Amino acid sequence: MSIQIAKTAAEEVYAELDNLPDGYGDIRQSAHSAFAENGLPHRRIEEWKWTDLRRIVDQAYPPAIGGEISAATYDALSAHSPFADIASSRVVFINGRFDAERSKLPENISVQMLSDTPEIDFSLREGDAVDALNLAYASDGALIKIAKGDSQNPIELLFITAPEQAATITTRNVIELEEGAIATVFETHTGSNQAYVTNAVTEIKIGTGAVMHRVRLQEDGPSAIHLSNTTVNLAADAKLQDFTFTLGGATVRNQGFVTFDGENASANVSGSYMLAGKQHVDTTLLVNHAVPACESRELFKCVMDENSRGIFQGKVIVARDAQKTDGQQSANALLLSEGAEFDAKPELEIYADDVWCGHGATSGDLDENQLFYLKTRGIPEKQAKALLIAAFAAAAFEEIENEAVRDAFNEIAQSWLARHKGA
Amino acid sequence: MLEIKNLHARVEEEGTEILRGIDLTVNPGEVHAIMGPNGSGKSTLSYILSGKEGYEVTQGSVTYNGENILEKEPDERAAAGIFLAFQYPVEIPGVATMQFLKVALNSQRKARGEGELSTPELMRLVREKSQLLNVKPEMLKRPVNVGFSGGEKKRVEILQMAVLEPTLCILDETDSGLDIDALRVVAEGVNALRSPDRAMIVITHYQRLLDYIVPDHVHVLSKGKIVNSGGKELALELEKDGYAAYEENAA
Repeated sequence: MSIQIAKTAAEEVYAELDNLPDGYGDIRQSAHSAFAENGLPHRRIEEWKWTDLRRIVDQAYPPAIGGEISAATYDALSAHSPFADIASSRVVFINGRFDAERSKLPENISVQMLSDTPEIDFSLREGDAVDALNLAYASDGALIKIAKGDSQNPIELLFITAPEQAATITTRNVIELEEGAIATVFETHTGSNQAYVTNAVTEIKIGTGAVMHRVRLQEDGPSAIHLSNTTVNLAADAKLQDFTFTLGGATVRNQGFVTFDGENASANVSGSYMLAGKQHVDTTLLVNHAVPACESRELFKCVMDENSRGIFQGKVIVARDAQKTDGQQSANALLLSEGAEFDAKPELEIYADDVWCGHGATSGDLDENQLFYLKTRGIPEKQAKALLIAAFAAAAFEEIENEAVRDAFNEIAQSWLARHKGA
Repeated sequence: MLEIKNLHARVEEEGTEILRGIDLTVNPGEVHAIMGPNGSGKSTLSYILSGKEGYEVTQGSVTYNGENILEKEPDERAAAGIFLAFQYPVEIPGVATMQFLKVALNSQRKARGEGELSTPELMRLVREKSQLLNVKPEMLKRPVNVGFSGGEKKRVEILQMAVLEPTLCILDETDSGLDIDALRVVAEGVNALRSPDRAMIVITHYQRLLDYIVPDHVHVLSKGKIVNSGGKELALELEKDGYAAYEENAA
């Protein structure tokens, strides 16, 4: 017996078949039905207990594609990107639609647009509402294929969301690194004050011995709901460095699914939050050690002020044959006010017996002894606090290999501190 | 310069009185040693002078160059010229030592209405001061005190002192955790900073440090009071006879 729960306004709109874009044959239909069956995830579903989407997606956000924005809006929003001078190419998406004029595609690397490629073979992540909605409504995205010997210059994907009314903007990117390829991809997500939902999925396939660096900056508008999935498959000896810095958005849910398909691969999925107001940011990771001798690292450093809330859920599964697995995760939170909250749920599911796995989570205020030490050297309290907060965030940025990006992120952290802590 | 009168203080939360009427006058150019057994109030005195939270002054006064310092924040005291070399220097991950020195010195200069130093100016100054203390340039790139040995931490404390050029240096158990070679380097660094305008308060449990930093005055602190004062020879007597006599008297 099943109990029918009344659909929310958001679910009603997502259920309207008329909204489905063309292309991709049956997968759109089946993704759409898969979503319709379960609706938006809610707090009674374990993985969503801290991020109740049914409540959070509080009105109808009709799926939308495209819609021009003014030059002034573009300039103001694209200025959030710290990658302009670091990346040598830029692929721009405005309201979920590729903008050729504002883009500068990389040379000697294959980049196609999802909207030009209606034949790609996608598979639906079972039971995943974000993926189901994405596959049903994805309007565009970059399909990047990198071969060994291709240019290693960083590529930026810039997503700007500024719809005229509440809307859901859906993009899907596929990044494939062939054997021995090396790539750096930056993602910037930014948007206007308009309430919107952005649903962004990135699928990354890393071939044998290939190395992928991905750095993502999330600076969505203050009323935005950002839902994202990153799915990564690593072949033998492959390497992933993935970093997400989240400052914007009202609600952000970043899901990461990493699967080791070949031995001796390593994946580092790290990030940092700097939150204030009533922001709610949730990172939920699932790392699947399906084969032996792989290494996974997760390191999150989260700064929460006012009534903001940070969440980290990290699950590591080590299969029975995945001996010599090395999996470590840590989540540290700095709570700058009484109203701030951090919830962490690390989970290890280990079926092998020769593994090295661990996790740690801490949350707390600034250290009084450190503060006193800095003050005795003549540094006023406000500045001493800012120095310690910046240092806390900087420790996470150390996971990023590109020095220019680390510097840019340190600057962003400083300006966040200036806005929120008057430093 | 420093005038402590009838200073009584207690730990805020516990209410136990730790300092029970301290009188001490320190003039420019003088080096005063404060000796005493564990629990006599030596470290508390250094914390109260530098402004640590959690202590409450219940009676008495502390003036520095005629100003009441007890109402001032620790950073204001620092800008006024008071420096505490910590017994246990605090690790500050993520803040490079050079950057820390720059922020500290420029904060003090700003508070005093002096111009700030540029990065090259500061680096020149720090490098010059580092040589005497055998602090290598690599150490200055590392986060403050993180992964430093006991000796390195103390050398960097004295380096900070040399760069910030305070007028009153309080050295809290600077000898603790140092072997004799490290002690010699630290003491040399301290002695190089002795000057007619600068006073020092050297807090120590053992006489050993005073072989290297020779004081003008020695005070014995016991149960929150100065129970005896004298010249440097007093330290030698203490070394020979221990603190037992004072503890009985004070009881």
